[in-house]
Amino acid sequence: MRRRELPRGGSLILPRLPLVTLDATRQRAIGQILLLAAGFLVLVAISTSSVILVNQARQDSLWVVHTVEVENQINALLLQIRRAESAARGYLLTTDPRFLAEHQTAVATVLPDLDKLARLTRDNPVQAENSKLLRPPVQARLAEFAQAIDFVTRNDIAGGIAMLRQSGSNDSVQRLDDVAGAMRAEEDRLFALRTATADRTQRLASIVTVTGSGLVVALAGISIFLVRRSARARDEAEAQLRDNNLNLEATVDERTSDLREANNEIQRFAYIVSHDLRSPLVNIMGFTSELEELRADIFKRIAALVRAAASAPLVPVAAGEEVEPALDDQDKQLSQDYSEALGFIKSSIAKMDRLITAILNLTREGRREFEPVLIDTRELIEAIVTTVAHQASEANAQIRVAPLPDIVSDRLALEQIFSNLIDNALKYLKPGVAGDISVRGRTKLGFAIFEITDNGRGIDPKDHQRIFDLFRRAGAQDKPGQGIGLAHVRALVRRLGGTMSVSSELHSGSTFTVTLPINWKAGSRNRDT
Amino acid sequence: MNKPVTIIMIEDDEGHARLIERNIRRSGVNNDIVPFTNGTAAVDHLFGSDGTGIDHKGRALLILLDLNLPDMTGIEILRRIKASKYLKCAPVVVLTTTDDSLEIKRCYELGCNVYITKPVNYESFANAIRQLGLFFSVIQVPQAAT
Repeated sequence: MRRRELPRGGSLILPRLPLVTLDATRQRAIGQILLLAAGFLVLVAISTSSVILVNQARQDSLWVVHTVEVENQINALLLQIRRAESAARGYLLTTDPRFLAEHQTAVATVLPDLDKLARLTRDNPVQAENSKLLRPPVQARLAEFAQAIDFVTRNDIAGGIAMLRQSGSNDSVQRLDDVAGAMRAEEDRLFALRTATADRTQRLASIVTVTGSGLVVALAGISIFLVRRSARARDEAEAQLRDNNLNLEATVDERTSDLREANNEIQRFAYIVSHDLRSPLVNIMGFTSELEELRADIFKRIAALVRAAASAPLVPVAAGEEVEPALDDQDKQLSQDYSEALGFIKSSIAKMDRLITAILNLTREGRREFEPVLIDTRELIEAIVTTVAHQASEANAQIRVAPLPDIVSDRLALEQIFSNLIDNALKYLKPGVAGDISVRGRTKLGFAIFEITDNGRGIDPKDHQRIFDLFRRAGAQDKPGQGIGLAHVRALVRRLGGTMSVSSELHSGSTFTVTLPINWKAGSRNRDT
Repeated sequence: MNKPVTIIMIEDDEGHARLIERNIRRSGVNNDIVPFTNGTAAVDHLFGSDGTGIDHKGRALLILLDLNLPDMTGIEILRRIKASKYLKCAPVVVLTTTDDSLEIKRCYELGCNVYITKPVNYESFANAIRQLGLFFSVIQVPQAAT
């Protein structure tokens, strides 16, 4: 026999993702959430600051418009005053009432314009002061106009002209120009300032927008990069998992075929060994029998020689005559010892032959193909009970068969299993006690559980494992047997994908439990033999 | 038909060979028995140097064959004998320890004439061989094909 290593257990490498990768995955997920949150915050910040800055810009524009308005108002006021002045002059020169009407219209608008200017400049203390300063010269000027008109009414045109000429370069006109100039200068300054502010606000708004957009784009880019990276990592992990699965299957297949091969080799080994052991046994048995024949010849000769030495025989011994009685006591003893030795040798050989035959039968049974068929288990067991009815009545035993679940299995194997167990139950009953053997069955999770219970002599718990070993028996060796039955039964149950066990105490009966799959299929376990 | 039948005994176990020979003689068969203890020597003798078995042309042979030989299987020898033009008529008695039904079937399929399992029980063994001897004394063996 070629020596080979049995497949070793425990070296199966299961695919396992390293913990580091798990941590990295979690970190990546957190990173992505943070990125998204940051992007969102940036968007909110941009929106808020845009709104603020737009409002700011509108405010700034309003201020610029306001400045322009104030300037307009100043110009309108001055225009009206000049209009009143030129109309008054026209009236003085022509005394045309149309000039007077225009003058009065202009004068009527001067004071409201001045009030409006005062209203507009309320926000600015400097300009408010200026507009207050503006009022006295305006009023003085209006009074001068009224005076000049009054000269005309009194037909003193020359006096009026003189007065107007004189007043054209007087103090109030000067002051009016000064204050109006100051106000315009102030407004110009404010205009420049406010325009600059508005520009700055707008620039700021555009910078904020551009920067924010850039940030958002950058964050989006990083997110896309991270998402793609994690997708790639996931794809790689999936590929790895697939590979591992394939490897695992290959490994399992390899181990299975190793086991199958080992099993086959054990079968062949058992077969060849038991076979080759027989050959020398034939010789031992044969030559022992030859020795036995020789023994007869030897002792016949000894007897003849003894007789010849004692006294010459008067009559020659007839051929084939029984000579054994003629041996003396010592020789008789020798003859008996010789026979006894030969007897032991022959009985041992016979025993060895039975053992070898048993092994041969077991290996042959192991090579038989099983065929799964639906079996009416109760019928099968009742048939067995019928065949052992004679033994049962001799042992004063009754066998009760409860309803049993039907299963799909190999019929011959089941017959062997149950007839061995029932035989054993009958064989090892307590002498003098009526036997009571029951067979019960139930199903559980796809398995049928059969229990064969007896009230026989029981088995010492320390022998529970031993009784399933080949050539091993337990208890008093007062019954014939080779110690093969239970080993054979367990081998069959295993081949049928089941398990078996025993629970028993000495003197209190035994229960053998056989668990078999309800729907056994001739799978790989059948082919591997 | 006048030539005496030669018994070729191919048996690796010398003890078995001796027991077989002794029991055949006891049954009153006095033909020549040529023993071989391994397959190679037996094949050399049977088929000669050219491997056809022409040496035995015109002679009557009876072959006693054990299946478990150290250097080749008896089945291989059986197959060659039955395939040989000159030897295929020689009766072959397979006498072996194997009682495997597949093996027995295979031997008969290959053309073996008698298959006997050696019983371990010597009484049965001796009896079987003696009966085989009686069988030999009455059997008609053809000459090898010319």
